[in-house]
Amino acid sequence: MKWLMDLEEKANVDIEWQQISADWDQKKSALFASGEIPDLLFNATQNSDFVQFNGLFEDMGPLIEKEAPNIQKMFSEHPELKALATQMDGKIYGTPRYKGIWPGSTATMFINKTWLDNLGLKVPATWDELEQVLIAFRDGDPNQNGDKTDEVPMDFNPIGWDFTPKLLLGSLGLPLSNSAGDGYFTEDAQVKNFYVDERFKTLMQFLQKLYGQNLINKEAVTQDYSKFQSLARGNGTTAKVGFTWGWETGDRFGNELKDQYISLSQLKEHADSTNELYWSNDYYFQNYGANAVSISASSKKKDAAMRFIDAFYDPTVSMQVLFGGMNDTDKGIKDNGDGTYQVLPPADSSLDPGSWKWTNSFADNGPMYIADELKDNLKLGTDMQSVLKEKDIYTELLNKADPKTNIYPQTFMKYSTEDTNTLAMNQANINNITDQKWANWLTTKANIESEWDAYVASVNSSGLEQNLQIRQKAYEEYLSTLK
Amino acid sequence: MKQAQLNGSQHTLQGKSWLQKLGGQYQLWIMVLPAIIYIAIFCYGPMYGIQLAFRDFDFSKGLTGGDWVGFKYFEQYFNSPMFWPTLRNTFVIAFVSILFGFPMPILLALVVNSIRSNKRKRVLQTTVYMPYFISTVVLVALLQIMLSPTTGLIDGLLKTLHLLPADTNLIGDPGSFVPVYVISAIWQTCGWNSIIFIAALSSVDSQLYDAARIDGANRWQTVWHVEIPAILPTIIILLIMNMGNILSVGFEKTFLMQNSLNKSVSEVISTYVFNVGVKSNQFSFGSAVGLFNTVINFMFLILANSLAKKSSNISLM
Repeated sequence: MKWLMDLEEKANVDIEWQQISADWDQKKSALFASGEIPDLLFNATQNSDFVQFNGLFEDMGPLIEKEAPNIQKMFSEHPELKALATQMDGKIYGTPRYKGIWPGSTATMFINKTWLDNLGLKVPATWDELEQVLIAFRDGDPNQNGDKTDEVPMDFNPIGWDFTPKLLLGSLGLPLSNSAGDGYFTEDAQVKNFYVDERFKTLMQFLQKLYGQNLINKEAVTQDYSKFQSLARGNGTTAKVGFTWGWETGDRFGNELKDQYISLSQLKEHADSTNELYWSNDYYFQNYGANAVSISASSKKKDAAMRFIDAFYDPTVSMQVLFGGMNDTDKGIKDNGDGTYQVLPPADSSLDPGSWKWTNSFADNGPMYIADELKDNLKLGTDMQSVLKEKDIYTELLNKADPKTNIYPQTFMKYSTEDTNTLAMNQANINNITDQKWANWLTTKANIESEWDAYVASVNSSGLEQNLQIRQKAYEEYLSTLK
Repeated sequence: MKQAQLNGSQHTLQGKSWLQKLGGQYQLWIMVLPAIIYIAIFCYGPMYGIQLAFRDFDFSKGLTGGDWVGFKYFEQYFNSPMFWPTLRNTFVIAFVSILFGFPMPILLALVVNSIRSNKRKRVLQTTVYMPYFISTVVLVALLQIMLSPTTGLIDGLLKTLHLLPADTNLIGDPGSFVPVYVISAIWQTCGWNSIIFIAALSSVDSQLYDAARIDGANRWQTVWHVEIPAILPTIIILLIMNMGNILSVGFEKTFLMQNSLNKSVSEVISTYVFNVGVKSNQFSFGSAVGLFNTVINFMFLILANSLAKKSSNISLM
């Protein structure tokens, strides 16, 4: 990362880097509680830390006014970023990031078109048709290798994750947004939780029916992410998975198989259903990030630290943060000389563009400000072009989500110390019930209809009602800042 | 005594000051000193942190600076919907582990002890205690691979032999969590734990064996009347010590084996403390739950100890 060394040199600072990639969530409590933290923390803090470890982090507000012209420019062009960074006490403990060029949805729904063609089937448009297609995937030999048992008709991650059937809730008129962490979403300006929504019951009944017919991967609940990835990448040119969710075909299915898959628009429940269709609107989640960098309150050179941070927000540096260096060593971005730039293909041809980016830069975890005018002047890599193209299919559905009533950007919400603690405690109890209940319903023949009321009552009494009230209050405060 | 008399002292051993007693046995004290230091620093030292369970943790004021809140966090735990499930799961795993896991090393030791050939004995012993050195993370990864319902070796074998119904998911089903947990633990630690019993057996007086043989005792009768009584004190002491740990169900393994499907039986007190206390920064609550766990352990220890004392006059205290 030569670009980063250049940056240190320019800011006249010498940084000793330490990278912690795994288990940070678990390590940081101990580190923060010890009170001895590094001068600068990149992508390492969240709002609840500022509340719970009050006094550990520096208020960057005055420093930004004094030393950070790039960040000031970012705040004036996108005032919502300043709102995002400002805590309840009016202070800024972490600088935000903004990309603006990422798509409005995290997941895409994929189906194997080659398999459909081999079996002479139409692309499904409803849940009923999907079921028929999956049955055909199971019984036929769509990958035509002579083995009728090696096909997995449908595969996904555990339901709280990104690439999961929770996205089918949009078929039932439930507007998900920003990844719906822990199940929270807003509808008609009310904060709700899909785990206790009638429409989730309908979805689970459908999934249980599919699972009972052996249409869903038996390991969908227990497999880890790497197994989930490797299964979909099949065996050489033999695809294994018929229908699933993912970020992009190259990433999900590998270069060999990606052309077999097409993206699928939101399904209707039945041919005659009249539900409004939605797709999860994740624009904030994809393009806005809070707390890219924080400064330790005990740092001795706060001015220098702030100048160094500000350098990341320079337009050309921000591009390098995201896509790799603009020099002959890093070979991440090419400067065309006429004010336009292009992201270069990986110099190491064994890597796909996504992996290349993550080895050569801070990628999506860095501090950056990609100004809106750069959108037209930066030619993206093949992976991102393909992401945007594959997700085009959802544009209309995404635009339908009303920012004032149906979009819930959780990173923008601010809570007091007491509320932060209550939310965390309740959530641990709620997750304990919801996590095991959906998995149990999926994999057994339990009668969901008769268990539903007792389940909802137990989730509500575990603290969900209280959490919804706290979140509603914060959401209304957020709405009042929108223009 | 002798030394005291030589020095012309009037004191008997009982009458000596503690310093003099210490001096008489200083070699022993030096040997035990590292252990005392270790326990003082790492076991007694951190105990001042227990007060966190009775205070509101305030980061800026440190461990001892928050306001006293009494039993607030204990009540919060007792009233939380997770109280009974975590307590029950911890008890079930702990009891089943002791019930099946405790006798196994004893049986193994008796088997090893009865093997005549020294070479075979060594091969067997080494084979059975090797798994002890596998780290928990690796062990759980092995379990995941071996027991996978689609590609697992052991899973496939059991199903081909019709020892398991075809739709069982050993790493997912709540019903199979405890058996998998206990059986894999026995496989891993049985050999290692048998060492202490083998050592105890090796000290059995060979005259007892001879006498038993002359009396016409067969192999089983020798085990029952000579070997078991010989190692009984060791067994009871170890059982008491295990009872004291009964609720400290291994955090690492439980946590690693946990998934959405088996959470109803795998969320134990220690994983709950981690999920709420550490991951959500609820330090006071975590301390309270942890302390509660320790108190229960302590009660079990005392109970087991007094039962053993009453029934066989063997005890720790």
